[in-house]
Parts: sequence; structure tokens; C-alpha cells
Amino acid sequence: MQIRRSDLGDRATSAHRRRSNDPPILILVSLAGGPKQGQALLKDIAEFAGVKLGPGALYGAITRLEEHGLIEPLESDDRRRPYQITAPGSQALADYVAQMRELVEVGQARLKVVRTPPAGLA
Amino acid sequence: MRTTGPTENNEGINKGVKEGVSDPRLRWYPLSWRARYGEELKTLLDDEYGGHLPTLVRLSLVRSGLRQRARQSGLTGDAAPATDRARAGALVVLAAWSAFVIAGASFAKFSEHFDEALPHRTSAHRVPDLAITVLQTVAGVAGIFVVAGALLAVPAFARFLRAGGWASVRGHFLRAVACTGITAAATGLLVVWAHHLGPHQSGGGLHWYGAIFLIWAALIAITLTLWTAVAVVTASRVKLPIAVLAAEAALTAAVAVAMVIMLGATAVWWGVMAKDAPTFLMASPGGAPGSPWDIWLVSTVILMAVAMGTAAAGVVREVRVWKQVRAA
Repeated sequence: MQIRRSDLGDRATSAHRRRSNDPPILILVSLAGGPKQGQALLKDIAEFAGVKLGPGALYGAITRLEEHGLIEPLESDDRRRPYQITAPGSQALADYVAQMRELVEVGQARLKVVRTPPAGLA
Repeated sequence: MRTTGPTENNEGINKGVKEGVSDPRLRWYPLSWRARYGEELKTLLDDEYGGHLPTLVRLSLVRSGLRQRARQSGLTGDAAPATDRARAGALVVLAAWSAFVIAGASFAKFSEHFDEALPHRTSAHRVPDLAITVLQTVAGVAGIFVVAGALLAVPAFARFLRAGGWASVRGHFLRAVACTGITAAATGLLVVWAHHLGPHQSGGGLHWYGAIFLIWAALIAITLTLWTAVAVVTASRVKLPIAVLAAEAALTAAVAVAMVIMLGATAVWWGVMAKDAPTFLMASPGGAPGSPWDIWLVSTVILMAVAMGTAAAGVVREVRVWKQVRAA
């Protein structure tokens, strides 16, 4: 399934999504590890990304992700409703990770060029 | 695990949902958003912060709530239907026009009797007179466009009222009416007082009159703002047919162009006055000796420019979503 870039949120331009503290991406990564409710999401994101999301930012991102069908709420008797990643959400995250991998490979390759001085200059 | 969608969640407002909707910490969010997510966010806030919410978190909630309102009204993002987004663009232009009218009134007061300050030769009057004529004519035409836009929405507004929409706009309407009453009374009193004053006293010689005049001007601005709010709140609830929406888009684009022309005419007038009659700018209450940068005029032109920029953003929004509106 082809995922549009805008599926990752309204402000999800390429540059914006490359930021490591982009809440929709952080939430998708967190939910890829299993369903979680709000507080567990905040804790998990703080642990794996070192980013402390505010409640407003968290629910703003949850709203957009749910609207785009990338996550869905699970039924719960508790007021702490858990969310899980959907198949399109997993695909969008996989696409994003692939893009990041390409970027990392290009960056690493170029860094090697920079760090290896040309013959004659050493 | 069973999943449940947003629509299903909106059905049956239980106690928790009611608490989420009425929680004062979430009042910046739209009602429908609070009905869906309010209970969860309230529980998260209670779990994370207990009874005391840090100021930064409060500010974050204000920002997120207003952002959500902007998204839901179609002002930003692509979550709202294309027609709502086009309508939001038109309403941005309307709000910008109101700000421009306030700036225009300020400029009209500032530029009173400018002719007397210019040299007596006819050529010195030509350009500033032309600038003022262009400004007044274009303002009149743009005003007609705004009224035409309002008239086009009347049938949809009537349908909205018949469907029981009055309750949702009553508060805004009554506030605007009350403010209009106060402003009208203040205008009457000011006119009676001004009638008993000489030209020097009413022209800035009497400080009390100047202060009361400023309060009256603020009342006019507040009244205009409240009526604009009535128009925006009402229009955002009214369902406009596509043909009306297209006409509104064309009218708002014309109004935005009118603002560009008026700002240009104001700049031309300012430039000529600074060259040919600098004493007029320096002698005003906000003038600085030896400088054409009068604080009153500078503030007025900045407001005009901001309004024009805002209107342009509204038109851009309309143009961008128009393809989707036609497809819809």
C-alpha cells in the first residue's frame, strides 16, 4: 500500500519528519513495540528517544495519526485508553525508517570521504 | 483486542466524557475534540501532574487547543473538508478587512486637513489628492464587495436559523449588540460635547477631549471586532453551496487586491507629505521633531500591512483548496 507523505501529519514535510523529536514518528515507533496508553507512551518515548513530550503535543499527534488511520484506539473500561499501530501505520513507519536508512548511508559514506584526506595532503 | 473508532466513541456521553468536556484546563480545545479525547487527556494530566499543572504545561495546552481549533475550522492543515477550508480562507480575509477598516479610520483621522499643510501651487496637491481619492474609492468598492459577500450568505443563514442555529451564536450576537449600544451612546455624548468646543480644543488643544476621543475610538474598534466575531462564528456554522463559496472566494480575492492598492496609496501619500509638507507629520500628536516617522502613522501603516498580509494568506488558502472543492 502506498502511503502519502501527508499521512504522517499536516506539517509532515520531509525536513520536518527528519527531526528526531517529531511527535507522530515517536508515537509510531513507540506503538510498534505494542499498544500503549498516554502515560506509557510518554514514558517510553522519554526512554528510547530522550524526548519529553507535553500532553498537548502528545494528544495533538494522536489526533492526527488517528485521523489518518495510522493508529487506532483499543476498547477499554479504563479512562486510560490504549492505542495500537495499524497496518498503514506500520507501512508508513517502515517507509520512514527506509528513508532514514538511506540518509544515514549517504551521510556515513560522505563522512568517510571527508575523514580520509586525499593522498598527498596527509 | 477489539478496537473502537472515533465515531463510536462519540456516542453516549458518560460521566467521564462529561468531565473531560467540562474540565477548565481543556477549555481551549473545540467541544467535539473534548468529547472524543477530553477524558483521556484529563486522566493523563491527573496521572502526570496531580492537582498542580506547571505553567509551561498550561501554555502547551493553550497552544495545542488553539491549534486544534484552527485545524478543525479548516484554517490550517488538511483534516477539515475542502469546503470548510475554503470558507476558513474567506473568513480570514473578512477578519483582515475589519482590521484594515480600523487602520483606515485611524488614517482618515490622521490625514484630516492635510491639504492646508501643502504648498499653495496646484502641482503639489495633485499626487496626495489623487492618492486619497484612490484610497477612498477603492475602500468604497471593497466595502460593497464585503456587503455583497454578506448578502450572498443570507439564504444559507436563514436556513441555519430555521434549523435552530440561533442558540449557538446568541451569546456572540448579544455581546455585539450591547457593545454597539454603549458605542452609540458614547458617540452621542461625544458629538454633543464636541459641539460646544472650539476648533483648537477639539483639534488636540483640550487633553480631556483627546483622551475621551481615544476611548471612543477603542469602543468603535471593539464593536467592529465583536461584529466580525459574530460574522465569523455564524459563517463557520453555515453550510454554503459551492456556487456561493466560489463567489465568496472571488469577492475576497478582490478585497485583498483592494487592500494592496489602498496600502500603496497610503504609502504614496506619506512619501509626498514627507517631501512637500514634513511639518504636517511632525506637528501631529505622535510626531517627532525633524522626522516623518510619526508613531501614529507608523502604527496605522503597520496594521494595514499586517491586515493585507493576513488577507493574502486567506486568499492563498482558498486558491490551494479550490481544486478539491470543485472535485467535492
